[in-house]
Amino acid sequence: MLDILMSVLVAGLTTGALYALATVGLSLVWGSMGMLNMAHAAMLTLGGYAAFTATTTLGLPVFAGFAAAILFGAMAGGLLYVLIVRNLLKNDKATFESNVMIATVGIGIALENTILLTYGGQPLKQPLSVDGILKLGPLNLPYQNIVIILVVVVMMAVIALLLGKTRMGRAIRATAQNRDAAQLMGVAVNRVYFQVLVLSGSLAGICGVMVSSMTQLSPPLGNDPMLKAFIMCVVAGLGNLPGAVAAAFGLALLEAFIQYVAGARWGFPSLLFVVIAVLIWRPSGLFGRTQIRRM
Amino acid sequence: MNTHSSPKGLTGSNKLDITITLLLIAAAIALPFFIDSRYVLGQIVLALFYATIASQWNQLFGFAGVFSLAQMAIFAFGGYATAMICFYFGWNVWGALVPAALGSVAFSLVVGLACLRLTGVYVALLTLAIAQTMYLLIVTDTECFVMVGSTCRQFTGGAVGFARFGDFGTRALFKAQWLVGNYAIVAVLFAITMAFTYAIVKSPMGLAFRALKDNPGYAVARGVNRFQAQLLVFGISAFFTGLAGGVYAAHFQAIGPGILSMSQLMFIIAITVVGGVGTFWGPLVGTIVLVAADEVMREAGEFRTLGLGIIIAVSIVLMPKGLVGRLGDLVGWLRRRHASPARGKLAESPALVGE
Repeated sequence: MLDILMSVLVAGLTTGALYALATVGLSLVWGSMGMLNMAHAAMLTLGGYAAFTATTTLGLPVFAGFAAAILFGAMAGGLLYVLIVRNLLKNDKATFESNVMIATVGIGIALENTILLTYGGQPLKQPLSVDGILKLGPLNLPYQNIVIILVVVVMMAVIALLLGKTRMGRAIRATAQNRDAAQLMGVAVNRVYFQVLVLSGSLAGICGVMVSSMTQLSPPLGNDPMLKAFIMCVVAGLGNLPGAVAAAFGLALLEAFIQYVAGARWGFPSLLFVVIAVLIWRPSGLFGRTQIRRM
Repeated sequence: MNTHSSPKGLTGSNKLDITITLLLIAAAIALPFFIDSRYVLGQIVLALFYATIASQWNQLFGFAGVFSLAQMAIFAFGGYATAMICFYFGWNVWGALVPAALGSVAFSLVVGLACLRLTGVYVALLTLAIAQTMYLLIVTDTECFVMVGSTCRQFTGGAVGFARFGDFGTRALFKAQWLVGNYAIVAVLFAITMAFTYAIVKSPMGLAFRALKDNPGYAVARGVNRFQAQLLVFGISAFFTGLAGGVYAAHFQAIGPGILSMSQLMFIIAITVVGGVGTFWGPLVGTIVLVAADEVMREAGEFRTLGLGIIIAVSIVLMPKGLVGRLGDLVGWLRRRHASPARGKLAESPALVGE
């Protein structure tokens, strides 16, 4: 009984770590620029495939695979800003929220389909994965899960430092709090937007490598973690980073337990019920600030 | 548009709407006489379905400002309800259509209630999650509900869906020309949907929807009931969407979880965006353009989805109000040029004249 419980716990923590990484990328973009990036899923997939190409086709070492994933994710984020977001910001501010959502949906489809056309639809094995199991008494810990949790913890620390200690992080936080005030104080808001999208793109790249090392590489790889990351963002309140991480771990554990108790089929629907219940109780999420809008 | 020309502009646009409607009706009647190819007529029927769904999504998003991604889920609900009523109770398709549409209304009201306190992207994410849950629950349904012959059937039809539960009876009536009969049914459905949508958009209720979209705070302060208006728009748009779902299931004599896929939803969004969000004729224009583009891209085979994604992104960047909006800009610009040739010399910069 105990070992089953432990394995459910390990599985829940690992997926929680993955979701946390995906959620932070989304939440960062939403918090600082009010943009819901529907192309995040495709950027995740792009990172996974970039690592695959670098290590398998080009025969580069593992480290270069990671670097390729980060690089391609960052490039996708940068291009998204240059081609889409910059142009949409010129239009009416009131329509930006829905327009950017529709535009990124289009970009997401196009990117996913490009990957499908380049690599084909058959699942591929992610070479950046570790085999083997660490045995600790009754506990069976696959090395892969340990690696994932470690990488995610390191990434979280890097993001926290970046946001908390650097000049760029201060600018991002200032823009998130009040865009107009930040701009008046001399923060180059457009540059902040660019930086945020690049940062979130590189996070998506790493997350893609991690997700594909748990399962397999396939073009719709990013969609499932992304949908769950959306739910976690909403439960936590969009734009709240610590809340997003907490919600990711909490909901992933809940999902793992429900999948064990009631069968894999009910994992996602139960998350949906949680999110509906939370939203009826608190419409802007558990930790979200209730926005007071001035007309 | 300034306040001076707006009453005159309204009657002008009414006249234009009537002209377009008459032309469209004439074209719809003439169409079967000119088209022999069964394939082309089949694609036109499909396009009419898209236009119906898109017009209802446009009512929800374009006019009421509710960005719901559950549109295909409501459509599928109507289709599934029709198929299941026919399959399990042995009803005629015609009798099942309206109860199924009412079922879609109930489903949509539940979705609307869940979204009631939410705004903007929260609505989009919640409705997307609801649609995805519905898809997953149908696809992973493996439990036997009834035995048909020696094969087991799931309650929701599982990954296969339902087939051969009845049809409109056009095959028996028109023999080889059955497709023309189905075309007539779908065209009438589309016409009724558009007429009803027009009446709603122009009614005080439609004005309330638009007021809530443009400035919720001001609209509520002026006595618009947000609760009532949002549930109404969810219910009304769901009725026609569900009805279209039932007709779709009966036309193809099959319904499966495939219509819940993301690409179908994207096609509907693309149609509305390209045609013009929040314009009455936008969804129709978008359908014509995108179905035609889709046919052209069919030659390119596997690049279709890629092209579709790029079309969505490019058209929202280049023309946020869609083709109809751009056409309106063009007409306005021409009219301004026409109306003030003398003043045009004085005010060189068009920005000063226009705004």
